[in-house]
Amino acid sequence: MKNLVNIKGKNKGLVLYLDDQCAYSELLTELKTKVSDPALDSDTEVTVHLNKRYCTESQIQELSEVVATNPHLKVVGTTSDILKVEECEQKIIESQSETYVGIVRSGQVIKAEGDLVVIGDVNPNGRVEAGGSVYVLGRLKGAAHAGTKGNRDAVIAASWLEATQLKIHDELETMTDELSSLSEQPEMECAYLHKNGTIIIDRLQELRFIRPQISTFKGGS
Amino acid sequence: MGEAIVITSGKGGVGKTTTTANLGTALALQGKKVCLIDTDIGLRNLDVILGLENRIIYDLIDVLEGRCKVHQALVKDKRFDDMLYLLPAAQTADKNDVNPEQMKELVTELKKDYDFVIIDCPAGIEQGYKNAVAGADHAIVVTTPEISAVRDADRIIGLLELEENIDAPRLIINRIRPHLMKAGEALDVNEITTHLSIDLLGIIADDERVISSSNKGEPIVMDPSNTAALGYRNIARRLLGESVPLMSMEKAPPSLFTKIKAVFTK
Repeated sequence: MKNLVNIKGKNKGLVLYLDDQCAYSELLTELKTKVSDPALDSDTEVTVHLNKRYCTESQIQELSEVVATNPHLKVVGTTSDILKVEECEQKIIESQSETYVGIVRSGQVIKAEGDLVVIGDVNPNGRVEAGGSVYVLGRLKGAAHAGTKGNRDAVIAASWLEATQLKIHDELETMTDELSSLSEQPEMECAYLHKNGTIIIDRLQELRFIRPQISTFKGGS
Repeated sequence: MGEAIVITSGKGGVGKTTTTANLGTALALQGKKVCLIDTDIGLRNLDVILGLENRIIYDLIDVLEGRCKVHQALVKDKRFDDMLYLLPAAQTADKNDVNPEQMKELVTELKKDYDFVIIDCPAGIEQGYKNAVAGADHAIVVTTPEISAVRDADRIIGLLELEENIDAPRLIINRIRPHLMKAGEALDVNEITTHLSIDLLGIIADDERVISSSNKGEPIVMDPSNTAALGYRNIARRLLGESVPLMSMEKAPPSLFTKIKAVFTK
């Protein structure tokens, strides 16, 4: 009989490759037997790879719990070769960039699903929101919200960053005088969400070290 | 066929009505046939500033509701033989008694007989504002060198830019106090125009005589020796297509003039 669960060692722990053709119940039984193997007796981090099987959130939860019946194994993540169409479309939208040319005036709200590029100023009481990052080629003097759909890696960058409020994911920063990171000449600056959950303002030049993943450019010489 | 200009600001008390009265008078002095419309229904003032309060027989609401003909409601300013007319607002109704379609129809009608129809807009962005802008072809935004007024001007410009029938709005900066600007305690002309990024139509100096002459019912623009009057006259000439340089503010240092000039020649 074909092996339904293949265990392979990688440099960082184990990967469990689960067969994608058999019935889910068979897979579950097989997985139970495999993880209870007494040979697996050292603490290891485990990634579960689902191949081309689509699993619901609760099924993934169930599989993780089965693996965790062996106290030495710790599930650190699940990977899969497939994606639902709607998830895929959402990802495409989020990776796209929308451009607004003009001034975002008081009372106006500009929203984008993905990244947002504003060519012009954002005046006080104007608001820009993006699922991804917000880039302003001009003076950002209003409010900006990046990562509205939960992207914690989103940033806010502006030629002149003197916003009244910055929000990344669900962290809000009011740019009052008490904020020590405010500069006198806020030229070419960016804001990002630090690991400790606070919004940090830094020089725009630092962005390529802080968020290298933002750069999508390939090749070049 | 004349053109209709709405004078608006968002914030109250920055000088919309004074600007309407003076600009209308200045255009009449230049030999243009002008009709002023006060759309501040319930809180009319334009008639007082022009000194025409006692002559009002019918008002805007009477015209719109068909109780009289347009020409019956128009009040003629006898000082400018047949050049300046006022359509006063009603005092006993409110802004919701008028709708934008009626205003548009009225303004189109008046444009046939006048070179300029100048509409005085009430403060705010509600019904009164919507009525005032409905028939306009151009818009003039009035602001003062105060942050609150500039914020509201920004909001109004955003709304005006959404109106398809209105050209890009132009700016008048009113009540400039040169000494405050010089000391950096008030926004300067350059800062305001960059912030709002619309064309500057003119600047008016702050002058006590504007208030006293308004109280007398004589628009300041009738006194050619006054600096504020000169500002209004210059704006009127610019509206007629002349290119007039921005005037230098009294007691202003030369650097300010250079700055203002830089804004204007941009």
